[in-house]
Amino acid sequence: MNRTVLIIGIIIVAAIVFVLFAGLGNDPQHIDSPLIGKPAPPFALKSVNTGETIDLASLRGKPVIVNFWATWCVPCYEEHPTLVANARQLPNVQFIGVVFNDTEDKINRFLAERGSAYPTLLDANGKTAIAYGVGGVPETYFINSAGTIVAKFEGPLSTEQLQENLAKALR
Amino acid sequence: MTATFGRFLILASVLVSTTGAFIAYAAGAKRSPEGLKWSQRFAYAFAGLMVLATGVMEYALITHDFSVQYVAHVGSTQVPLWVTIVSLWSSLEGSILFWGFILGIYIAGTTWFNRNEHQEYMPFAIGTWLSCGAFFSFLIAGPANPFLSVNPAPLEGPGPNPLLQNHLLMIIHPPMLYLGYVGMTIPFGFAAAALLRGRLGQSFLRPLRASLLLPWVFLTIAIMLGGWWAYEVLGWGGYWAWDPVENASLLPWLTATAALHSAIVMERRGVLKGWTVTLIQASFLLTILGTFMTRSGVFNSVHSFTQSSIGPTILVFLTVILLFSVILLALRIDSLESEGRIESAVSREGMFLVNNLFFVVFTFTVLVGTVFPLVVEAIKGKQMSVGRPYFDAMVVPVGTALLFLLGVGPALPWGKVSRKEMLRALLPPLITGAVALIIGYAFGVRNAWTLVTLLFGGYAMHVTFAQMWLPLRQRLKKGDSFAPALIDAQLRRGRRRFGGYVVHAGAVIVFVAIAVSSTMRTQEEVTLTRGQSTAFAGYTVTFLGTEERTEPHRQSTIARFNIARNGQPVTTMEPRMNQYAAMREPIGTPAVHSTIGRDYYLSIMNIQGDQVGLLIINMPMVGWIWGAVLLMGAGGLIALIPARRRTYVVVPESAPTIDDEAIA
Amino acid sequence: MIAIFFLLALLQIKVPDAASIVGQPQGAPLSGPQLEQKTMAISAELRCPVCQGLAIGDSPSIMAANMKAQVRELLARGYTEEQILSYFEKSYGQFVLLKPKFQGVNALVWILPVVVLAIGFVLVVSKAKKLEVAPVAAAPEEPADDPYLARVRERVEKQ
Repeated sequence: MNRTVLIIGIIIVAAIVFVLFAGLGNDPQHIDSPLIGKPAPPFALKSVNTGETIDLASLRGKPVIVNFWATWCVPCYEEHPTLVANARQLPNVQFIGVVFNDTEDKINRFLAERGSAYPTLLDANGKTAIAYGVGGVPETYFINSAGTIVAKFEGPLSTEQLQENLAKALR
Repeated sequence: MTATFGRFLILASVLVSTTGAFIAYAAGAKRSPEGLKWSQRFAYAFAGLMVLATGVMEYALITHDFSVQYVAHVGSTQVPLWVTIVSLWSSLEGSILFWGFILGIYIAGTTWFNRNEHQEYMPFAIGTWLSCGAFFSFLIAGPANPFLSVNPAPLEGPGPNPLLQNHLLMIIHPPMLYLGYVGMTIPFGFAAAALLRGRLGQSFLRPLRASLLLPWVFLTIAIMLGGWWAYEVLGWGGYWAWDPVENASLLPWLTATAALHSAIVMERRGVLKGWTVTLIQASFLLTILGTFMTRSGVFNSVHSFTQSSIGPTILVFLTVILLFSVILLALRIDSLESEGRIESAVSREGMFLVNNLFFVVFTFTVLVGTVFPLVVEAIKGKQMSVGRPYFDAMVVPVGTALLFLLGVGPALPWGKVSRKEMLRALLPPLITGAVALIIGYAFGVRNAWTLVTLLFGGYAMHVTFAQMWLPLRQRLKKGDSFAPALIDAQLRRGRRRFGGYVVHAGAVIVFVAIAVSSTMRTQEEVTLTRGQSTAFAGYTVTFLGTEERTEPHRQSTIARFNIARNGQPVTTMEPRMNQYAAMREPIGTPAVHSTIGRDYYLSIMNIQGDQVGLLIINMPMVGWIWGAVLLMGAGGLIALIPARRRTYVVVPESAPTIDDEAIA
Repeated sequence: MIAIFFLLALLQIKVPDAASIVGQPQGAPLSGPQLEQKTMAISAELRCPVCQGLAIGDSPSIMAANMKAQVRELLARGYTEEQILSYFEKSYGQFVLLKPKFQGVNALVWILPVVVLAIGFVLVVSKAKKLEVAPVAAAPEEPADDPYLARVRERVEKQ
């Protein structure tokens, strides 16, 4: 029995197996956000519905849900009715939609067809999205009344998922 | 009906392979010729069942039998016939069935080829192969079953992933890859047999080496095809992204190449047996690791199949065979004792040792880089990435060292040499190296690594041709005329040697072409409106206009460009932007104009009405990469052609004749 | 309420600015072909968050194009490579850096291969020395691996 081979072999096997087993639970598509627990990056963007500029800082004191989407994003279509319905039911929570790489025309047409219950802001060059670490659309950030990001959700939201993450912001 | 029949075949194959494995191992332990015969029968039976099951699946696909779950998953009456046929390997369950199919053929073929020989090794080998076969049958029967029934059967199916219908290369890349991957099981079985038996005799080296070389040829070509596919189809202008699944295919190739070289020293000097066996085992283990990486959903990759429960099962199998290999090695490696010695460290033998080292370091680096993000996430819970900049930085020096050895190794003679002989061997190729360097410089190469690659490459090419010339020169000296001497020396008697040097010649070209195409590449991003032109890298590109095309699975916008040189039109190029119904982001299809000297590559970045954002890339020598790898494959095939074994028996005239009856 | 909105309307629309995240530019502003080259170079080091493993320079996705434009703008304003990489790291985490930072656990990925090479070199040299002085084993009896050959040999040797 060659002890050296045995020991080195077992070490290598153990290392490989440990690493791979640990990786089994992962979802490789998910990106952890470094902003959770940190203050939400400030922005002030033009609202497409009303034309006025809305500043994130002005919304402090209420929990805020910032939903990044676009008219060229197919899953966003599914998510929209959920957001609108919840926005109407939760007047104490400020919903904000942020659209990037899109035109006002298309956005207005979308909202006219599908309804709108909260301001939709235009982030023309996508810089706000970058600052928030948005990878794809739709992505939703949950901010508490102190202005700290408490959760990030990737993909289209269902009502349960929305309530679950909102609960974190309400604590 | 079909689904039930398929399930039956698979369950039978689980039974046959498991029973066969037990019988084979028992036959090996008891050294029973009767047991060996039965092992062979079980091996053929397993192969037959796999072939039949695959035939049943293809039949179901072609007849669009949507009551079979896999067909319901990837079949469609709307796609052309060739897409239907290749959809066998387009999705997870079918691809595992395909794996079993290829494994069956390899096992049956190798068993038949060696049916009358190596009786002490074959039972152990068959036992090992059938154990692997049993695992894959189990996978097909259980977690990855394509033969489940769908009730009621739908009338139509979604067709395979649209990305896979894009290019004809999809027909040949996966089968080549499987022929390479799966083929590594065979030498693994032989190596296990040698370890279980406790010795590795000279006569066993031939089948061991041949069984490693054949899948190596397939894997070499498959890796190149993968790079070519990425280059032609994905639109980012590169052929290798150090994607985890790409790395998974490279790892076994590296260890197999190291093993092939190590086997040469083993044959010549009887040393490095333990190393060679370890490398062969590693090649197979890495293919299983590779299949885990591709199918488990653990790694973020373009190639990943959808996540499924198959990951943990493969991981358990991987753990078992890892332990099996380590324990077997630890128990028996000392009995594969070194029967020889080397005369001097600075000799061809010594260079083989260093060669092994660099291949192992190369493999280790790629492996560490690929799994490191997993390690960090497991330990610290944070995500990080290890991407192209890391791999390029680490691999380039190792690759350059290997190119250096490609030249210096074969230049050094075997055994101990005097200082004068060593200089006589090592200095002349420097001239060719210097010439290559100067030519490169004249063509505008300024990057330090590329210049070094040219120097080493020229050196290595000189040595390769010099070595090829050697046996020919000996025959010419004896007075033979040129053509017959050439054929006799290289193709009739010296195939292994000649084939090996052909591979080396191809490899040198690959090194140089990769270095040149990466460092001499230029690109330009330009926005053109219809009718507008731009000049870049010797061509004038004029935007002619766009065209929309709607196909069942995608919406394409085609941009047409006229390419001219010095006012003379050369060709039209039509890159596309495709929006697939199934994908979030659009995917561009580039247009490539290849000439001997360079590739002119057009890719659409964005397109809106009459304006197109265009990426133009000029890449010298890319076509050389594909051709040179094919040359490497050809060299491997030449080396594979078996020589008639010659046994000289001196029989005096009055000797009694040997007749079969007397011997039997 | 309305008064506050009036005031805000007077302010410029603002997006989170690099200055608030990484401070003032520490290098010289770039332009022309140098700007393009440096943009390409840095784009090769940032990972596109939505594609599988591609750099933003290679990805056709919209997010990647936005990030690349941001890189170009920051370079034109004079930010250094370090600052730009740090800017993206603050939003996306270390995930977005394709070249692992040489700090903490991450340094291992750079060090390990070098260590293996060094250890391996020592092993190779000692193994070569060992093999050089190994006693040449007595020429091994070529065993009867091929039974037919063995019988033929036997036959012939009996002559």
